[in-house]
Amino acid sequence: MTTDWPYLDVHQSRTHEPTPYEYRLASALEEVFTHEGHELADVVRGLNARQVHSPDGAPWTEQSFRDEINRLGA
Amino acid sequence: MTTLTADHIYATGLRNQWHPVVPSRFVAPGAMRKVTVLGEEWLLFRRSDSTLSMLADRCPHRGAPLSLGKHLGDRVSCWYHGLEIETDGTVSSVPGLPGCNLEGKKLVRSLPVREVGGAVLAYFGDEEHPEPAPLTLPEPLTDPGTDSFLCYAEWNGPWRYAVENLLDPMHGAFLHHESHTMFDGDTTAKFRIRETGRGYFFEKTDQRGVNFDWVELCRTGVDWVDLSIPYPPSAGPGGPFGIVGMVCPVDENRTGVFFWRYRKVEGWQRDSWRFLYRTLIEKRHWEVLEQDRVMLEAMPADADQRENLYQHDLGVVRLRRMYRAEAEAQGAAQVPAQAPAPRH
Ligand code: FES
Ligand SMILES: [Fe+2]
Repeated sequence: MTTDWPYLDVHQSRTHEPTPYEYRLASALEEVFTHEGHELADVVRGLNARQVHSPDGAPWTEQSFRDEINRLGA
Repeated sequence: MTTLTADHIYATGLRNQWHPVVPSRFVAPGAMRKVTVLGEEWLLFRRSDSTLSMLADRCPHRGAPLSLGKHLGDRVSCWYHGLEIETDGTVSSVPGLPGCNLEGKKLVRSLPVREVGGAVLAYFGDEEHPEPAPLTLPEPLTDPGTDSFLCYAEWNGPWRYAVENLLDPMHGAFLHHESHTMFDGDTTAKFRIRETGRGYFFEKTDQRGVNFDWVELCRTGVDWVDLSIPYPPSAGPGGPFGIVGMVCPVDENRTGVFFWRYRKVEGWQRDSWRFLYRTLIEKRHWEVLEQDRVMLEAMPADADQRENLYQHDLGVVRLRRMYRAEAEAQGAAQVPAQAPAPRH
């Protein structure tokens, strides 16, 4: 841990540099929240419509999205 | 201990209260770290079981910095002549002279510490007030339905400017106009002060929930502010994000700022926010904070001596009066009783 003054670190909450998949999912999520709504059903529909799927390629269900976002955001 | 004047206290931070020091992660288990707070040098020392202590960074033998010494697991040894100091400040051993009368004496000042929301807080009492003041933690950091991330940064400028900046919501509509959260709202406003049992609100009378529209200063053993800023729809469900802000007076010209960004979210909504925060939002928040840093670091040294204040500055004026009065009171209490004139 550096002790140099000043400590100015943009990223203090990350555990790793996001993967390309994580970046893609994050921007798709922002778009979905902006254009489709804030309900879980909106999210699943919006992501599937944009073909932004989980790494296994399967379309999202409410349960699979919950599990994956919990893994990513816990 | 040297006598503290009101000016010194005003410049380096109020005594007899808690202040944030550094993020907890700055001192790993089994590690130690030198820190400057309120213009004084300290050593944070963490045992391998994670217990944290804070000692004056000054060996009671000849004054060498203990931070140059060795971590011995449950105590620190001074590098100069090997004195060993326990985490409560007691000299446990003088290796060069076993049985020396320094042994067993508590000769190093140690401060009460607590860790809160990922930050170290310490109580800085003066000689008359060594017992820690009661500490009530900010609710957003203790409420289980609220989730938060700490952002810590170090700025070159007086601690008061950092607090004043927070008691000045109107700067949001100008300084942060080109930002992801504070682009909206009126650029004219009327403000009022609303006293609370623990401090005061400084708020717009005619707009809420659009920009940075209100702030509450809270004095609950530690000084902190609470405020709320709307998120754009892209940030998902959960409404606005809040900030709990605290400031560490490092010395006259350096400040550590602690911003906990918080949001009332649970379940998948919480997970979504956390994911977006780490991946995309944290960087945007950082850019807003940098606008504050650039402005505050560029403020001239006599900025608060040559001003023309108007209605929007009432929150700042109230803050300064309060801090100045407290610094005066603390300084006056420090003046030693007049000793009788020496007789010859
Ligand atoms: S100054 Fe620390 S042991 Fe002598
Ligand atoms: Fe700001």
